[in-house]
Amino acid sequence: MGHKELMVGNKAVAYGAVLSRVQVTSAYPITPQTTIVEYLADFIASGRLDAKFIEVESEMSAQVSVQGASWAGARAFTATSGPGLLYMHHPMMGCRLPIVMAVVHRSNKSMQPDHTDLMAQRDTGWIHLYCENTQEVLDTMIMSYRIAENDRVYLPVALGLDGYILSYTAEPVEIPDQDLVDSFLPPFKGRSAPHPDMTIEEWRANMSRGAGGYGTQKAWIDHHENMMAAKEVIVEVDEEFGKVFGRSYGGLYEEYNCEGAEAVIVAMGTIASTARPTIDDLREEGKDVGLVKLKTFRPFPHDEFREMAKRYNAFGVIDRNISIGSGGVVFNELRSALYNVDDKPSVLGFHTGLSGEEVTPGMVRRIAEKTLEAARGPVEPLVEWV
Amino acid sequence: MIEIRLHGRGGQGAVTASRLLATAAFLEDKHSQSIPMYGTERRGAPVTAFVRIGEKDKMVRSLIHEPDYVVVLDSLLRKTVNITEGLKDDGMLILNSSVPPEEIELLKPYKVATVDATGIALETLGRPITNTAILGAFVKATGEIGLESVIEAVKQQWKGTLGEINVKAVEAAYEATEVGDPKIVAEVVGEKAPAGSRADWRTFRPVVDLEKCTGCRLCWVYCPEHCIEMVDDKSVIDYAYCKGCGICVEECPVGAIEMKSESERGE
Ligand code: SF4
Ligand code: SF4
Repeated sequence: MGHKELMVGNKAVAYGAVLSRVQVTSAYPITPQTTIVEYLADFIASGRLDAKFIEVESEMSAQVSVQGASWAGARAFTATSGPGLLYMHHPMMGCRLPIVMAVVHRSNKSMQPDHTDLMAQRDTGWIHLYCENTQEVLDTMIMSYRIAENDRVYLPVALGLDGYILSYTAEPVEIPDQDLVDSFLPPFKGRSAPHPDMTIEEWRANMSRGAGGYGTQKAWIDHHENMMAAKEVIVEVDEEFGKVFGRSYGGLYEEYNCEGAEAVIVAMGTIASTARPTIDDLREEGKDVGLVKLKTFRPFPHDEFREMAKRYNAFGVIDRNISIGSGGVVFNELRSALYNVDDKPSVLGFHTGLSGEEVTPGMVRRIAEKTLEAARGPVEPLVEWV
Repeated sequence: MIEIRLHGRGGQGAVTASRLLATAAFLEDKHSQSIPMYGTERRGAPVTAFVRIGEKDKMVRSLIHEPDYVVVLDSLLRKTVNITEGLKDDGMLILNSSVPPEEIELLKPYKVATVDATGIALETLGRPITNTAILGAFVKATGEIGLESVIEAVKQQWKGTLGEINVKAVEAAYEATEVGDPKIVAEVVGEKAPAGSRADWRTFRPVVDLEKCTGCRLCWVYCPEHCIEMVDDKSVIDYAYCKGCGICVEECPVGAIEMKSESERGE
């Protein structure tokens, strides 16, 4: 039946690695990710996790170590934050191995959280899943391996959790029994794992698997196709997780209190938690505005947003990031997804929470109210900092 | 939903207190959050932590700005930190203080609970770590959490003797806590610190014996905060900026500077 424990987000990450029976892990400590490394080391030292911990001198080495391990057929895990993630950028690019990495968000311009770190890895070809609470972190760890290792996908997953806000906040978490997790997540069978019976031709063909046809245009096409196939797989895995464990997260996104809504706000990570009670209050006041929590940023749910556009007249997109010189990353992508729909809804952009600025229920309320106004007529400005 | 803000100094265990309170609530089948506000952690610096107790789907992820309860682990902190900021009108203050509630000066008629947590901690733990004692006071004053739950949370946190003596601290504080009404005043006399002040980092302050000081300037050279001025060839420390590092004491060749406990200055 599992048990409950009060734990911080970082411990939920490490617990998720234990339950997923990770075999190789390598990570370099960096605030606010450091305690993940400590918890993992503890779990390994106490025998709770039977894994090899590869000690390294940098994030670059951590990233290539787990890639090597995954290539050799081991279930591999790493974790980092902000600048550490930037340092991993090169080996992350184009990687096609089913690694899972926790990214404890830390701004590119401060020690405090925002999503600029993971957004800077937007085009590396990893699946990006954002979490809003400690339970979701633990559950998403387990789901991530199922998604990553799926034959139609076979790609790495980055799991995002807001540094400090989630990494250090303790709350009760339900920990499923190992047997149940084992039934949901079978042992990893690496595609490229070498074996003694391999012919030299097979070995040669195998050599490039980690990068997946490196040096060809086809490698880009395949990578993109696997990524798009991941949309279906993410939804399937989430549904099955729901059946087995009784909790699900909508896969790509979740519509919360959206029934009959004229407008919706779009939020990621912990801002979604702050938005929920605010949306409840607004609905009670008769204001028809709902919440779309975007969990999967890559692959981006273009078609799904186009479907939603038939139902809602306005989207208020909250970006805890900025692409300097352009704008909110999610705002831009969502708006471009809706370019070809008839009766285009209005799309508003809100930048907030950068470099750890606090996002309060009052701010979410202002965003939601403005979005609702936009569902009924033009509002100015289209994009603002909150 | 109840929301609690805890104030302490680094080393007193405010973050642990928040953790224990959240665990105690969790043991009573409530949902809870323990939120540390992370800045630079150093012994002596003011620390804030928060606790939310209530339903799971109401757990927002911002800090707490309008608490129902404010818990203060340090007896001097209320002079430098605005501890009542945002406290709800019907809110309550739980203070580590050796004086009864009636002697606590406040602008508004909040309910006040006091306990000499430092005294109790020194007696039971032998160290001025006030986090468990103040929780005993919280339980007694608010009734929001059961004493048994807090004791269980303490036992889960520390095994063996350490757990036992901390349970004693909880129980002793529970017995000794007084609840009452404060003394309402027009202005709370605080110590307004100038910008960039390091005064609240100190647990100890350097005090110069002007008789012994030879005016050699070594302390003046080595002070990392540049807060020593030579006045008439004697070392004079600006306490608004002194961070209490004690380097001047180490460097003084004639032993003219001595570190004295800040709390000895009394309440
Ligand atoms: S204690 Fe440190 S900061 Fe204070 S006067 Fe001495 S050297 Fe300067
Ligand atoms: S080092 Fe000692 S003797 Fe020299 S100026 Fe400072 S206090 Fe005076």
